[in-house]
Amino acid sequence: MKPDRVRRETTRRTAGAGRSRPQAVPLAPEEKAPEAGGIDDATHRRMFYFMALTRELEDRIERKLYRQGKIVGGVYVGRGQEAIGVASCIQTRPEDVICPSHRDLGAFLIRGMTPRRILAQYMGRRDGYTRGRDGNMHMGDMQKHVIPFVSMLADNVPIAAGIGMSFKIRREPRVVLCYFGDGATSRGDWHEGMNLACVQRVPAVFICNNNQYAYSTPLNQQMAVENVADRAVAYDIPGEVVDGNDVLAVYHSTRRAIARARDGLGPSLIECRTFRMTGHSAHDDAGYVPREMFEEWESRDPIKKHQQHLVEHGILSAEELQGIRKDIVREIDEAVEWAEQSPYPDPEECLQGVYQEENRDGLPMGGNG
Amino acid sequence: MLTKTQLHELYYWLLLNRTLEDRVVSLHRAGKIFGTVYTSRGQEAVSVGTAYALEKEDVLAPMLRNSGALLVRGFKPGEILSQYMGKSTSPTGGRACHLEMGDLQRGVVAPIAVLGTLVPVVAGMALAARMRKLGSVALSYIGDGGASTTDFHEGLNLAAVQKAPMILVIENNGWALSTPTRLQTSGTNFMTRARAYGVTGFEVDGNDVVQVYETTRKALECARNGQGPALIVANTRRTGGDPGQEDVLSAPKAEVEEWKARDPIRLFEKYLTEGGFMTAEERNSISNRARSEVDSATEFADRSAFPDGRQALGGVYHEA
Repeated sequence: MKPDRVRRETTRRTAGAGRSRPQAVPLAPEEKAPEAGGIDDATHRRMFYFMALTRELEDRIERKLYRQGKIVGGVYVGRGQEAIGVASCIQTRPEDVICPSHRDLGAFLIRGMTPRRILAQYMGRRDGYTRGRDGNMHMGDMQKHVIPFVSMLADNVPIAAGIGMSFKIRREPRVVLCYFGDGATSRGDWHEGMNLACVQRVPAVFICNNNQYAYSTPLNQQMAVENVADRAVAYDIPGEVVDGNDVLAVYHSTRRAIARARDGLGPSLIECRTFRMTGHSAHDDAGYVPREMFEEWESRDPIKKHQQHLVEHGILSAEELQGIRKDIVREIDEAVEWAEQSPYPDPEECLQGVYQEENRDGLPMGGNG
Repeated sequence: MLTKTQLHELYYWLLLNRTLEDRVVSLHRAGKIFGTVYTSRGQEAVSVGTAYALEKEDVLAPMLRNSGALLVRGFKPGEILSQYMGKSTSPTGGRACHLEMGDLQRGVVAPIAVLGTLVPVVAGMALAARMRKLGSVALSYIGDGGASTTDFHEGLNLAAVQKAPMILVIENNGWALSTPTRLQTSGTNFMTRARAYGVTGFEVDGNDVVQVYETTRKALECARNGQGPALIVANTRRTGGDPGQEDVLSAPKAEVEEWKARDPIRLFEKYLTEGGFMTAEERNSISNRARSEVDSATEFADRSAFPDGRQALGGVYHEA
């Protein structure tokens, strides 16, 4: 199934959108559009599709291919966190840029990166985004304006600040979305990147996947404030906490933040409270996480929650949802088959891609991004 | 409440700090100091008021401009001048020509020239004090510019989450070298940092030595009671450029004049005389004492020998 591109409405906020210095307060409430919750049916459908696609693709990678020994690297999934990357990235325009983290597979997919090439990436095949050089999430696509994920967490924050600055200097009406976890916000690079982006008032939206564990370290052992959003006050920007398992909440919050960035009012920090429903990676059993937390958050599953909303509001019927899911399973089946047929790279290919070359499709290197 | 003796001591340290730095400037102009000189004219009350509030067992980690804090912690003017002059009698044996010196015996950690990097060091010292139940506190300083560095963030965050007894003084003097605060951070209200890291925050007039002292006492009490770190934002301004680079003091003239009118030493003198805490004779005697100490320190440093070339090999590794 191929979702239709939704016509994007331009949201020029007028009320209070003067050039005065923004106050460190929550984002202003937006005017509700006539449709249910301000989101049209096609967008709802796309969000459901991408969340379900992300879940199915990650399940396939983590629970099947990894266990079959077909994945060459580590596996880091975002089960339970799908709403964040999807509801925010779905609002980007093609020319916008995203700096995703390793738990935002949905954002990669929305930007047009395909399940089959992602699978080839994980299997170390030549058709993967790094052409078999990496078996993990360190992939991007400069033509689709997806900055490859940087393993050193928080290092994508100063990168996003720089991208935002280039938009500002070139007077381009583009925004950059930057994603990171709760642990990353305790890193020095996060501070320098945030500070630079905020003092330069670049068009950026900073989105925290607060899944409450930085690997095995719980939140209260890595920071002394209750919310990541509390840190926004130090940069004099709006900071907001939203339910990261509620696709609608994430959508509305990021919508205001993106509008604010496009209006030249500078960055915002959105903290999406969620929970990592797996270990840190496929090799981690998360024995350090109390079981009750998994049970509690299982009942708040973002996909189930959205599904319920769609059916209750008559946006999509249970049968239609079932149909979408079936199509997704087929799509992933085909993608796995395709990826498995992709060859491994020749050893001499590892010499390529070190320095700037002609920017071939999907090659994560600098150039005409 | 400070006693009269304590008030006189504070006045003495402030005067000694300024007299010594004025001498450093003269010696630099006379070609006797060949390194770079970083002075603290206008900010002496921050160094003196905070260091004076510490107990003997507390640890202090100054920046290069906190010579007043070094003096209060027991560094002699002769040590500071011989350090600047690169003499063998200096705490670094002539290996460094500005205040990159410390003495763990006197509870002083040497400054690190890369600003911000001292914060995680001090956070570690405070954490050690907490784990060993020493009851001591570690105090350090950072500027408005240094507060935008990675190390500031990681150090303060670590101290906060570990409830380490650390006090961090932000000497907000409005300028990071030549960059005004509003151009280097969006968080120009430094008190918001306390909320962002989950620590206790205090804001003081950094030119009022009594206020600086009393606030530091309060912050020390919080830290000693296990409440974790405290951040003190001391608003002040540097009113004298460094010799050889006077133009680096890029604050507009009017701004400098405004702060000169609020000179911390003049303000304190006024407080002492108007409050009847100090007579003219007492004032003269303190002032003479400071001057004569700096005079003999100059003589000492001037007479001291330069280090022997072979000495450069020592002090690289730990020696018994």
